[in-house]
Amino acid sequence: MDSQVVIQARDESLAHLRKVHGDDAETLIADARYGFISGLMRDVLERPAVEKVTATDRIDRFMLNRWLGIPLFLAILFAVFQLTFVVSVPLINLINAGFDWLGEPTSRIAPAWLGSLITDGVFGGVGAVLAFIPVIFLLYVALSILEDTGYMARAAFVVDRLMHKIGLHGRSFVSLILGFGCNVPAIMSSRTIDNPRDRLVTILVTPLMSCGARLPVYALFAAAFFTAYQGLIVFSMYGIGVILAIGLAWFFRKRLISGESGHFVMELPPYRLPTVTGVLAHVWDRVWAFISRAGTIIFSVVVLIWLLNYLNILEQIGRAVAPVFSPAGFGQWQAAVALIFGVLAKETIVGAFGTLFAAAGDTGSLGQVIGSALGWTPLVAFAFMVMILLYVPCVATISTIKRETGSWKWTLFTIGYTLALGWTVATLVYRVGRLFI
Amino acid sequence: MALAGNPNSGKTTVFNNLTGARQHVGNWPGVTVAKKEGSCTFQGHHVKVVDLPGVYSLTAYSQDEVIARDYVVDARPDVVVDVVDASNLERNLYLAVQLLEMKAGLVIALNMMDVARSRGYVIDVTELSRLLGTPVVPMVAARNQGTKELLETVVGVAGGEIPVGGINLQYGQDIEAEIAKLEKLVDGNFPAGQYPPRWLAVKLLEEDEEIVRKIRQAGVG
Repeated sequence: MDSQVVIQARDESLAHLRKVHGDDAETLIADARYGFISGLMRDVLERPAVEKVTATDRIDRFMLNRWLGIPLFLAILFAVFQLTFVVSVPLINLINAGFDWLGEPTSRIAPAWLGSLITDGVFGGVGAVLAFIPVIFLLYVALSILEDTGYMARAAFVVDRLMHKIGLHGRSFVSLILGFGCNVPAIMSSRTIDNPRDRLVTILVTPLMSCGARLPVYALFAAAFFTAYQGLIVFSMYGIGVILAIGLAWFFRKRLISGESGHFVMELPPYRLPTVTGVLAHVWDRVWAFISRAGTIIFSVVVLIWLLNYLNILEQIGRAVAPVFSPAGFGQWQAAVALIFGVLAKETIVGAFGTLFAAAGDTGSLGQVIGSALGWTPLVAFAFMVMILLYVPCVATISTIKRETGSWKWTLFTIGYTLALGWTVATLVYRVGRLFI
Repeated sequence: MALAGNPNSGKTTVFNNLTGARQHVGNWPGVTVAKKEGSCTFQGHHVKVVDLPGVYSLTAYSQDEVIARDYVVDARPDVVVDVVDASNLERNLYLAVQLLEMKAGLVIALNMMDVARSRGYVIDVTELSRLLGTPVVPMVAARNQGTKELLETVVGVAGGEIPVGGINLQYGQDIEAEIAKLEKLVDGNFPAGQYPPRWLAVKLLEEDEEIVRKIRQAGVG
């Protein structure tokens, strides 16, 4: 049978119904379903005469308050970072000391190249990354608790209110918050956004959300340059990411991908007490991903860096690129090398520095060694951290963007704009900062 | 069997209880965006379990809804378990009604009974099951209560021992007349009897683009 006959008959039916009821059939059908359900409810459900004011309602009156909502969100996030760093610093130092101790005898292994590979490459590079397990662990314990209690949904709700005012889809922020863990699942979660334009914009700005892989880099430099303010400095990285993500989403939506935004009602789950096993299961997922990445991709990249360095090629590569970053203050070849390999996986930035400076004589932490070898001031370190936050997403994220948008154009656009943004903001931070310091 | 349900109704917790998997569960809508598979053995029956993305309805507006719907329609699982949040019954039933319209072998897992009870709700489970014409299993997935009963029902439905007739929801005289016309036109013709004709007619009237596209494809071939 010709499908045209069916479509035509359908169109006639629709026109007829519209004439009779003055509404489209879709609405009438939905009404019939709702009618059936509300009738059903009367038969099967007995509600208390007065709905109890639940604990959830009482907490939400506070958490979702028009004026308090966002400051509370920021305060909670800040407390999380502060706590994470205060507790984890001694643990990190302990692990580092352990790797130094392991590397001491291996450095005497013959032949010399093997000793260097194990000491500088494996212990220096991979070890430097693994040392940050306590930060990863503690941060995700805190974030899992916030998620499992239902608070994160509130955070998305209060930010949604703000985003809606500037014409953005609130569901995007749910994806963005997931980006704190890893950008890949965050980009995939944008599938729940029904409006294709809102979805595209969300995908484009998700890489600006600081993920777990970038955390070790911040931790490394925050510890060496901002001892007393580590929590605050790392919090500011996450904050800059969120603000730029929302700002650029607004800009893209205005200039590049205009059109009406979808409606969205944020569902607020009741507050639930998180269970220990639930939280640990989440945290274990994250920590295990971190460890297994350190053992696979980070390990391979670090060995590659070690090899290129051993063959004296690495410095040439770095020197060729380094001048580009001079305006931002980190125009040294080692920093350029770290940025190049960081695209493979952001943790390798720590691994690269670990490999390059493990041999440079061990006084003080890796961050301090880097600082004195490259002559960095806290301002340069901060500009470098901003660069790490914003520049080109890692290859896993890039391939996810390609898969989800199905477009090379938007994938290349993301790579291009993040690189330009990272360079510009880092340079601005450095130049403007120098006026004051 | 397939697990369907609204976001944050505890589908993934039910999935983990059934299969012993440890998928990420969040107090947070939208955690499951792609479908996940697992399996378990119960009373000698091998049960394949597919966890679908959480959706509020089965229209074709967003990709997660399309994923969920295509699976129910194309893979035709023996049983579809709709995980329903008992403390939010009214809103959750919208999806259940749509699944019934699709003539899926539907079992309703009435989850979070504890939360509903603590709010003072009293739900007449037997009456709910009678009015919907499909089995309803009360449970508290977070404490792994009701998992065994759910599996018993699923196996019973798959084996044909427990009836799932479902209801034929009436949309009112005028719409019913148009449904009848369209139903006659599509019956047996489009896409080769894969979809229930009444459901196709309803979807046509809902101006579902996905279905129109499929009908066009079938008509050409």
